[in-house]
Amino acid sequence: MSGYTEGIIILLCINAIAGMGVSLLTGFAGVFSLGHAAYMALGAYTTAILTVQYSMHWLPAIVAGGIVAMIVAYFIGVPTLRLMGDYFAIASLGLGEAIRLILENWQSVTRGARGYPGIDPYTTLPVAVGAFLILLILMFNFINSRYGRACKACRDDYIAASLLGFNTANIRILALVLSAFYCGVAGALLGGFLSFIQPVMFDMMKSTELTAVVVFGGLGSMSGTLLGTLVITLVTELFRPISQYRMLIYGAVLVIIMVIRPEGILGNRELPSFFRRFLRRDS
Amino acid sequence: MKEVSHGLETFLQQVINGLSLGSVYALIAVGYSLVYSVLLFSNFAHGGFLVVGGYACYAALKVLGANIWVASAMSLVGAGIVAVVTERLAYKPIRERTNVTLYLLIASMGMSIVIENLFVIFVGGRFRALPPVIPTSPVSLFGLATTSAFDLLSLVASVVFLGALQIFLLRTKWGLAIRAAAYDLRTAGLMGVNVNLLVSIVFFVAGALAAVGGIFLSVRYTLYPQLGGITIKAFVAAVIGGLGSLPGAVVGSIILGLAEMLTAGFISSQLRDLVVFSLLVVTLLVKPSGLFGKNVSEKV
Repeated sequence: MSGYTEGIIILLCINAIAGMGVSLLTGFAGVFSLGHAAYMALGAYTTAILTVQYSMHWLPAIVAGGIVAMIVAYFIGVPTLRLMGDYFAIASLGLGEAIRLILENWQSVTRGARGYPGIDPYTTLPVAVGAFLILLILMFNFINSRYGRACKACRDDYIAASLLGFNTANIRILALVLSAFYCGVAGALLGGFLSFIQPVMFDMMKSTELTAVVVFGGLGSMSGTLLGTLVITLVTELFRPISQYRMLIYGAVLVIIMVIRPEGILGNRELPSFFRRFLRRDS
Repeated sequence: MKEVSHGLETFLQQVINGLSLGSVYALIAVGYSLVYSVLLFSNFAHGGFLVVGGYACYAALKVLGANIWVASAMSLVGAGIVAVVTERLAYKPIRERTNVTLYLLIASMGMSIVIENLFVIFVGGRFRALPPVIPTSPVSLFGLATTSAFDLLSLVASVVFLGALQIFLLRTKWGLAIRAAAYDLRTAGLMGVNVNLLVSIVFFVAGALAAVGGIFLSVRYTLYPQLGGITIKAFVAAVIGGLGSLPGAVVGSIILGLAEMLTAGFISSQLRDLVVFSLLVVTLLVKPSGLFGKNVSEKV
């Protein structure tokens, strides 16, 4: 396999991990975030500092990156998840930018806006694919567990869910914290893949992209998110030669999807349900 | 003693700068809040209208050689039309089919990317300075502080436009219709208001106000396609004041402008953005509906 293909597969795995995290929060718990790139940044920086400064092994460092993102998400989530709809989206946007600005200005630890160089290239193909597969299995187990169903109940009718005795506030916080873990791990892997990170890589544009991928794939469909990640990552790669038009096409695609098929590629169904219907029709 | 008077002077200067910056934010935040009050979604393409306004003014001045009044008028109309076209192309098909505001939110993010990159591709991403049509010479204020004529001018212009908007909303028939729609768009439609025309008018007004903000911001920071990113501060101001509330948007913008300029003057100009977002977070923690917002509690 050539280095280029390998790189694309690694990138796909990283994007898919972050996408799964955001999909859990937005698609399953119905919380719309515009600041998830910040959790990727937290994961990336934690792992980079632990491996470079404290020469820790990359595996615990990646997990630590995810955990730091989780802790920060918990402290952000407890007060802000009381907010609904656009208010939470704007709060998350503001918090995401604030985290990025802190990373940019905290020179002594993060080396500021110029970025953090010299990270060990620990994200090899097996590492990325392995992390992706483990997190994928965990995610599908989660969304089919009673917690996953509770998330969906909160999304579909917040009030009805709380009347049924679900602690809706805790469920939303759980979804946020888990999604932050996924994004933190994705960020940590990204740092190991590029061996260089910079606060500006995790700006609002990146957050928008994370959410856009989830919406593109279909809210409430984990396999849709994976499909969306595949399509968007490959299209982004295909358009690299005409990078000038890349963002324009990306923006236009977002609008066109919302106009033509706002429920995304798969809607809120999982991929196997399509095959099942297909088979039934056959017999 | 000298230190104290110097500190006071800086303080007054920064207050005036803050009021001026805040008033420009107010022009943007009010348009954004207006759209939110009627359609209940955050229009992220609002920054795009601002950029269109800035470039329209630039083109009128540079290419057509128009004077500042004509250029401003063209800029306002141009941004207003772009806003209306954006609504017709991207939002109308969605709002006619569903009432899920999330879809509108995402479409608006898409439109903001489209507008920004159209300028990157067809006009170029470099920074442009507007010709010196707006005086920026220093003005002494009763010997107490020196400020630039530009700051005073943007303050005055903002007050004029906000006053005009207030008169439009309170004294005209369409203003009444918009206030009714802010209360309940569907019912306003049932009462015989042409909803599509109303939404177009709202977008035109919002776009034109954003263009005024765009002209002043492009004098302050020069003009570039990503200038629209600054609207994020206007969003923050609108949230601080209470989403959908116009007086709230103005008050929030003034608070934000003052906070930003006083931080830049007395602490560090790198921290000003951090202060802005901290203000947002504190507001949301203490009073999520903002200073003037309707307390939204869901009925069971």
